[in-house]
Amino acid sequence: MGLTAAQQGPGPTVRTVAVQDPAALRVHDAWVSYVPRRPVLRGVSLEAHAGAVTMVLGMSGSGKTTLLKLCKGLLAPQRGEVRVLGAPVVPAQSRGRLDSRVAYIPQQLGLVRTLTALDNTLTGALARIGAVPSLLRLVPENELRQARELIARLGIGHKADEKVYALSGGERQRVAIARALMQQPRVVLADEFISDLDPLTSTEIMGIVRDIVATGVAVVMTTHEMDVVRRHADQVIVLRDGEKVLDTQGAPDPAAITSALRA
Amino acid sequence: MRRHRGAILVATLLVLLALALADVGLLDPLRIVRGVGNLGEFASALFPPDPSSLPTLAEAMLETIEIAFVGTAIGFALALPLSLAASPVLFGPAVTAPVKILLAAVRTVPALFWAIVFVVAVGLGPGAGALGVALYSLGYLGKLLYETFDGVDPEVVEAVRSVGASRSQLARYVLIPEAANGILAQLLFMFEYNVRASSIMGFVGAGGIGFYILGYLGLLRYDLLLTALLLTLLVVVAIDRASAVIRRMFLYPVAPMPPGE
Repeated sequence: MGLTAAQQGPGPTVRTVAVQDPAALRVHDAWVSYVPRRPVLRGVSLEAHAGAVTMVLGMSGSGKTTLLKLCKGLLAPQRGEVRVLGAPVVPAQSRGRLDSRVAYIPQQLGLVRTLTALDNTLTGALARIGAVPSLLRLVPENELRQARELIARLGIGHKADEKVYALSGGERQRVAIARALMQQPRVVLADEFISDLDPLTSTEIMGIVRDIVATGVAVVMTTHEMDVVRRHADQVIVLRDGEKVLDTQGAPDPAAITSALRA
Repeated sequence: MRRHRGAILVATLLVLLALALADVGLLDPLRIVRGVGNLGEFASALFPPDPSSLPTLAEAMLETIEIAFVGTAIGFALALPLSLAASPVLFGPAVTAPVKILLAAVRTVPALFWAIVFVVAVGLGPGAGALGVALYSLGYLGKLLYETFDGVDPEVVEAVRSVGASRSQLARYVLIPEAANGILAQLLFMFEYNVRASSIMGFVGAGGIGFYILGYLGLLRYDLLLTALLLTLLVVVAIDRASAVIRRMFLYPVAPMPPGE
């Protein structure tokens, strides 16, 4: 996204007025602890870029979920900083609205079970809908059309009016993706995104993820599936006991990842 | 050692119970015997129930149900916004604490007392009863509702908060739909409870079958009293059955997630 150097060639030199941060998401020296003096994240720094899949690996308890919640602003760091698209993330402590440009898909997907697939997708547009229309469930026509298109594109158009509790695991995964895309996000954070799916479904879902990334979205996901990492990661970050022990750029080396996880 | 401690605890409780029994006058054998005799007399005066007052009582019973219905509806309409304001999911302690105290204060006062207050305010009749029931329901339902909202899966709340939703949107799209099961169950429970509460509103002139119940007691017409009580029992059982049917019609499965594909 970020450019621009001085223009080449004849004519007056054009200067950039605002320098955009080339990283879609930047975490700098973040420390988080739930209990005093027991940090879950210890000085983690990372950059995630637009148009790339960043996979965060680590054993259970290594701080992966905490890292994603921190990036979303659901947690505030005791020290350090998180920036999205160059602007600092305002944490949710104030119970105000969070930045809709960052989509967050929690491990159990966080879908509203009693609402339909379509209504769950529409919740992704809530930041754009005013208080009164949303209380009356009067969704603008264009949002409704967009939600229906998204659901259809993700292959669950025929399930749009089914309640979420009646959907299968793969279908629910797609609803969660549809809700995230409805936010028109620049960054998508997904926690243990494909862990509960069979290999075929997870391949399909990763295909969808690749399509999203191709539109210039930065995807940060945690996973345990080494096969998925090998095939789809543009960058791999390994956490151990809250510390970053590996950060690859480009094609990851499976041996290095495995040794970082185990060591 | 541990078993020893348990025995001491049980013995202490038994001593306390004996002291309390004596204090409320239930350790007096003569009094107990007399009491049983009186109960027998009372029971024989109840039978057989006299059905001659049924048409009047049916009308009064209908009014009782109306008091409960209107009271539950008004109480719910007031309790819903207040219970949301009392939910830590949406607000910090600066808002939730005072609202919770308000609900507790309203709940502490029995419905019958609220009815007396409203008889003074709006005059004798079922209107005062309905308002009394409404206020009590507000306190009770308010608590039940905010506890239900507290039980909503925090991951769902986080997920929808993450889209940039406001507090009112969170309430509308997460808390209320996710808690719908509980809300319906509590409304039905409250209505059933209020039918019973409304049946004594007449004691203070606030309408319903209670006026007749108190009257028959005063006139020592226990046979008529029994008719009124049986009618109340019949209605409460009917409402209980109806609630069960409604619940079955509307409730979604609570543990619904089928195994992943």
